[in-house]
Amino acid sequence: MIKYTIRRFFVMLFTLFIIATATFFLLAAVPGDALTARTERLQEKTVINLYKKYGLDKPLMERYLITMKGLAVGDFGESIVFEGQTVQSIIRDKGPISARLGLQTMTLGVGVGLILGIIAAMKKGTWIDYAIVTLSILLISIPHLIFGMLLQKVFGAELRWFPIIGWPKGKDLWFGGWEYTVLPTLTGCFSYIASYARLLKTSMLDVMNQDYILTAESKGLSRWQIIRRHVLRNSFIPVMTNLPMSVAMCITGSFFIESIFAIPGFGKYYVEAVSTRDVSIVMGQTVIIAAIYIVVVFLTDILYTVIDPRIRIRGGKK
Amino acid sequence: MSKLLEVKNLRVSYHTYAGEVQSVRGVTFDVEEGEAIAIVGESGCGKSVTAKSIMGLIKTPPGEIKAGSEILYRGENILNYDKKQMSHYRGGESAIIFQDALAALNPTMTVGKQIVENLMMHRKTIMVDGKEVKLTKRLAMQEAVKMLKMVGIPNAEQRAKQYPHEYSGGMRQRAMIAIAFACQPKLLIADEPTTALDVTIQAQIMDLIKDLQKQLNTSVILITHDLGVVANVAKRIVVMYSGNIVERGNARDIFYHPKHPYTCALLEAVPRLDLKNKQELASIEGTPPDLLAPPKGCPFSTRCKYCMEICCEQAPAATDFGDGHEAACWLHHPLAPKDDVPFKTEVRHE
Repeated sequence: MIKYTIRRFFVMLFTLFIIATATFFLLAAVPGDALTARTERLQEKTVINLYKKYGLDKPLMERYLITMKGLAVGDFGESIVFEGQTVQSIIRDKGPISARLGLQTMTLGVGVGLILGIIAAMKKGTWIDYAIVTLSILLISIPHLIFGMLLQKVFGAELRWFPIIGWPKGKDLWFGGWEYTVLPTLTGCFSYIASYARLLKTSMLDVMNQDYILTAESKGLSRWQIIRRHVLRNSFIPVMTNLPMSVAMCITGSFFIESIFAIPGFGKYYVEAVSTRDVSIVMGQTVIIAAIYIVVVFLTDILYTVIDPRIRIRGGKK
Repeated sequence: MSKLLEVKNLRVSYHTYAGEVQSVRGVTFDVEEGEAIAIVGESGCGKSVTAKSIMGLIKTPPGEIKAGSEILYRGENILNYDKKQMSHYRGGESAIIFQDALAALNPTMTVGKQIVENLMMHRKTIMVDGKEVKLTKRLAMQEAVKMLKMVGIPNAEQRAKQYPHEYSGGMRQRAMIAIAFACQPKLLIADEPTTALDVTIQAQIMDLIKDLQKQLNTSVILITHDLGVVANVAKRIVVMYSGNIVERGNARDIFYHPKHPYTCALLEAVPRLDLKNKQELASIEGTPPDLLAPPKGCPFSTRCKYCMEICCEQAPAATDFGDGHEAACWLHHPLAPKDDVPFKTEVRHE
């Protein structure tokens, strides 16, 4: 197990290296740089100075080496577009906001999704099943943007139950100002509900057709006992495969929600940094998000072995 | 001996997109207490569906047990059981062993726990050192280990903590048998228990089932397509073809005096060791009829070497040869030709 973890760790580092390299050269291949837009009306001397300041005057390979050296010690460099900001400062200031939104959305979405999935599988072929399936297709087809605005109009403007925009700050950053978080969380969680409900339902129906469910039935177990003891654990295996993707999405994918509800999260910075070729920010955020994703994948792999005894880790004791 | 199970006019259909598939079309047989019978037939003849019906495992929909069918267990129709009775009947009174033990065991549960699950479901108390005590999970696990020992699994204590994929094929089937016998059922259905195993293991598994059956006085319904497996175990044999019983009788009669062309063809298809090498293995030409639209005559008529005109028009009734030996074939009709047929067509005990 320890051997496995160590080996995995080096594989993860290597993966990050590849991702960082690819991101760097892809960005370099795109025409224009972060300064082009700002230097049009400046004097030539100023422009040269600016390029020098950010090191953009150096040859490509040298810039690559400097960037990679920086990454190795956690120095991503200063932003070109958002003056005085670094990746660290953006994540420190905006990270918790996006993280809370992401976590709330994912927990609610995955939780409700799984429960609906179980209900749909157990009531297969009844109106309840059809209602859940129809609803989830509907929910997955409506873009966040439209859904968020709809919620704002109904619950914010007309019913006045929740504030239309904004986000708790200060001491409420993690555990307060719930009324602000309701609408953004709802907006985000529906796509999770829809995808997890359908995923678990399909997986459960597949498991229910297995022979060992017949064996369980032939033991005289009740329907619910069969679901709890035999179906659920076996049908969670495909669901697990989707989890890392969802975690990564809940960090990066909230950009639309953040902009509809004027939430000062870092989704905005990520998108803007790419469109303005803000190399240091893009590199930093990509590497950090990739790192989170890789760690989640690693944890999922460990969880697999807990759920499914057939999967054993090489280098372990058995 | 009294009758433990009586199946009367069992008809089972599956509703598919193509239409209604009549898998079992009026099957009647009975099993006496402590007796082993075999149901023999090729794939798709309805033998597994019959087995599942007896365990109450037919899913509706798509399956449907037709009105008029009766499955009497100790005189009570299990088709009318409520949930509680059914739960007691399955596992407590009857048990089933499936063909593919790897698929029939839960891959994410230890073998020990799968036996314990059955015990906890049906037994309230257990005998420990001659005293009856309340069954706890710990005691159930001890009992499960005992069961694994009984079916011949070495290192049962460690084995009970392992998962099915850590067992070999034969061991898995033994574990399956341990689960089935855990609550000492009165009726065991073995649905092709040895088909997925190689020949040496087959014999061991069949011996094990036979031993346990004698020891615990369990009735066994052995379902197989392999006549070689049957001979050693079953006293009586029922031959099924396309959802019907075509011939039944005690093992001796079926093997030495088959009275139905299908039984003869099946027997010819068993490879024989007493003939010289390089003999060609006989096979039955053609395929069984489509049960979406079963033929109105004898279902075997399209493949039968001795088919007559009447065979395609009308299904034959069973002819009785005494001693429970019956066959449904027109060749036994007094007007049928007597020459060039595979068996003596006269009624034997005349």
